[in-house]
Amino acid sequence: MGDTLSQAPLIELQHVNRSFAQGRTRVNALQNINLAVEESEILCLVGESGCGKTTTGRIMVGLLNQSEGNVLYRGRPVEGLQGKERAEYRKAMQIIHQDPFASLNPAHTVGQILSFPLSHHKMVEGRGAVRRRIWELLTLVDLTPPGDIVNKYPHQLSGGQRQRVSVARALTVNPRLIVADEAVSMVDVSIRVSLLKTLHRLRDEYGIAIVFITHDLALAKYFAWGGRIAVMYLGRVVEVGPTPDIIAHPAHPYTRALISAIPEADPEITRSKQRMQLRSEDIPSLLEVPPGCAFHPRCPFFVDGVCNTDLPVLEPAPEGRQTVACTPLTRGMGLRAHGS
Amino acid sequence: MDLQSVASPTGFVIGALCGLVPLIIGIRRRTFGPGLLGFLACLFSGFACNVLGGLPMIVLAVAVVISYTYTDRDDPFLSRATIEEVDFEETFGAMITRRLATLGRSIRVGLRALVRNKAGFLGFLGLAFFFMLTIFGPMVIPYDGEPHYYDRRQEGAITLFQGPSAEFPLGLDWQGRDILSHIVHGGRALIVTAVEAGVLTSVIAVILGAIAALVGGLPDRLMNAVANFILTIPQFPLLVVLAGLISFKDRFFLALLLAVLDWPTLMRAVRAQVLSLRERDYVEAAYALDLGLPHIVLREVLPQMISYIVISTIFSIRGAMYAIVGLVFLGMVPFTEPDWGVMIFMGRSQGALFSASAASMLLSPVLAVALFQLSLVLFTRSLEEVFNPRLRAGL
Repeated sequence: MGDTLSQAPLIELQHVNRSFAQGRTRVNALQNINLAVEESEILCLVGESGCGKTTTGRIMVGLLNQSEGNVLYRGRPVEGLQGKERAEYRKAMQIIHQDPFASLNPAHTVGQILSFPLSHHKMVEGRGAVRRRIWELLTLVDLTPPGDIVNKYPHQLSGGQRQRVSVARALTVNPRLIVADEAVSMVDVSIRVSLLKTLHRLRDEYGIAIVFITHDLALAKYFAWGGRIAVMYLGRVVEVGPTPDIIAHPAHPYTRALISAIPEADPEITRSKQRMQLRSEDIPSLLEVPPGCAFHPRCPFFVDGVCNTDLPVLEPAPEGRQTVACTPLTRGMGLRAHGS
Repeated sequence: MDLQSVASPTGFVIGALCGLVPLIIGIRRRTFGPGLLGFLACLFSGFACNVLGGLPMIVLAVAVVISYTYTDRDDPFLSRATIEEVDFEETFGAMITRRLATLGRSIRVGLRALVRNKAGFLGFLGLAFFFMLTIFGPMVIPYDGEPHYYDRRQEGAITLFQGPSAEFPLGLDWQGRDILSHIVHGGRALIVTAVEAGVLTSVIAVILGAIAALVGGLPDRLMNAVANFILTIPQFPLLVVLAGLISFKDRFFLALLLAVLDWPTLMRAVRAQVLSLRERDYVEAAYALDLGLPHIVLREVLPQMISYIVISTIFSIRGAMYAIVGLVFLGMVPFTEPDWGVMIFMGRSQGALFSASAASMLLSPVLAVALFQLSLVLFTRSLEEVFNPRLRAGL
C-alpha cells in the first residue's frame, strides 16, 4: 500500500468537471479533465483565454473545488484530507499569479511578506533563523543583495522584482508544486528569460514540479522542452504529450494552428511560412459549446457526420508519443483540408 | 465615561519623569535635539493625560530618538556582508532597538506627511488648539458658573449682556457670567460624546461589514436588510421623537444611540471593500499559504481599509456633534452647563439675537463648534497622506 502511494503522482485530476453559475444557467469551464503531475515534472497548460487553464491550476492548488471528479494528492482524495495532512497538501501546492502588481500586499515590506508564512508555519525555529531564511530565499530568486530589497514596499520594486518576491513567498513553505499562472506574461520581455531560468533552477535543484500556464506556445516550447505540454480548448484537453513530440508532430488541428501561428524572428521565414486557414476566427461561447468536437466549426479538416456528432476522446496519436482527442485522426481516417 | 485625566500638577511630574527616558537615551546617543524634543513631548503628554499620555509617549519619543542614530550597520541584515559573515542571531535588546528605529522612521515620515498638506496641517493645528483649550484652558481660566445679577450690572444697561472688554474678552452672558470661561469649559463633554459616538459607529460598522462580506449568506442579507431599514429612517426627527420619550441624561447612552443610527452607511462601504479586497491576488496567495483567517482579516485586508475607516470615523464624529448640538439647541437634552450647545440655546431664548452687545453670546459657541468641525474635516486631508504606504517611500 505504502509503495503504491509513493508511486502515485504528486497531484492528479480524474474526470474533473467544473461549472460556474452565470445567472440562471451554468457554464462548464472544465469538462472531463484527466491530468497528472509527477514530482519535479514540468507541465505546460496551453490554450487561448477562457479555455480553462487557470481554473485547472486553481483546482490543483485547492483554491477552487471541482464540481465533479476527483483530485488526488499523492494518491489520496484532497477532500478527505484532514488536519495535518490537509495543511501539508496546502503547503505543498503554491501559486504564482499573473499580475505582479496585484499579488503583493502594498501595506507590507518584502521582509514582512516573507516572514508571515515562515513564522506562522514555524518553517524555521527562532527569529534569527527566520531572518537567515529570508536572506537565503531572496538570494535564491536572484534578488541580491537582500539588504536592498528586504525593507522595501512592493511599489518600490519593478515588475520583475515583484514576481521574484512572489516566487520567494511561494518557496517559504517548501512546496512540491508551483502553479505559475501566466507568471511572466506581464513582465518585460527582457526579464522573462531570466525569470524562467530561475523557475527552472528551482526544479533542477529542489525537485519542485511546475505547472506553467501560458497562452504562448513559443514560451511553452522554450520552458517545457524536457516536460510535457497539454493543449486545452474550451474546457477540454485536446492533446497532451512530451513537448518535443507536440512541437515536431502536432496532431490535433488546433495544436497545428497554434504552432503555425508562432511568429519567427526571421522575417523571411515568417513571410514564407504557411499559416493554417481556420474556417472561422471566432471562439465559440462557453455557453454554447458546439456538439461533438468543440473545435469542429473552426477546423479546416472537418468531417461531416463524425466531428459534429462524436465526442472525441484522448487516444494515442498516429505519430509521436502524445495522446490526442480528434476522432478522424485516432480512427485512422487521416486529415484532409477542405478548399476554402 | 468622562475624560477624567485633566492637566494637573501630578501630571506635570509624571510627564517630566517620563521625559527623562528619551532625554537620557538622546544624550547617550549624542542626539541632543531629538532627545530634548522627546522630553518636551513626554512632559506635554504626561501633563495633559497623566500616565495614559506619558507612557505611550515614552515609546514614541524613544523610537524617534533612536531612529536618528540607527544606521544600517546596526542591522545585521542590512550590512553589506555575505551570508557566512552575517550573524542573524540578535539579542532581545538589539531586536527591540531595530523595531523601535523602524517605528521611529515611520513616525517621522508620518509627521512629514502631516505637514506636507497645507489644508490638512491647518486642520491639525486647529485640533491641537481645541485640545489645548479643553485640557489646559481650565487651569488658567476658572469656571464662572454663578450668576452675577448685581456686581457686574453696568450703569443704565437693560440686560446683563455685555460686549467684549479687557476684563472679559468674549463679553458676559445673560446672567453676567464670563463667556470665555464657558467656551473653555463647555467643549469637553460635547467633544467626548461626539468622539464616543464616532468611534462606536466605526466599531459596529467594521465588525458587521466584515462579517457580512466574509460569511455571506443569511447573515449578510439580514444585516443588509437592517441597514437599509435604518437608512430610510430620517435620523434627526427620530432622535427628537426619542428625546421626548426617554431622557438623554446619560451622554454615553446618547452616543450609543447616535452610533446605532449612523452605522449603516459605513457598514455598507466596509462590506463592499472587503468583498473587493478578498478577491485580490495577495489574499488568494495568503489562502494558498494557509495563513488562516485571522491573519487574512487583520494583516491582509484591514491595513488596506484603515485610512478609509479612520476618515469615516472623523466624519461620523462630525455628524454626531451636529446632532448633539441640534438636540441641545431644540432643548431635547437635559441641560448640563457648561456646554456650547446650551450656550446657543440660552443665547437664543434669552433674546441675544436682538441686542448687538449680546452677539458674542451666540457667535462664540457657534464659531467654536464650526471651527472644531472645520479642523476635523481639514485634518482628514493630511490623514490620507499619512496612511498611504506609497508615501512611505524614500525611507
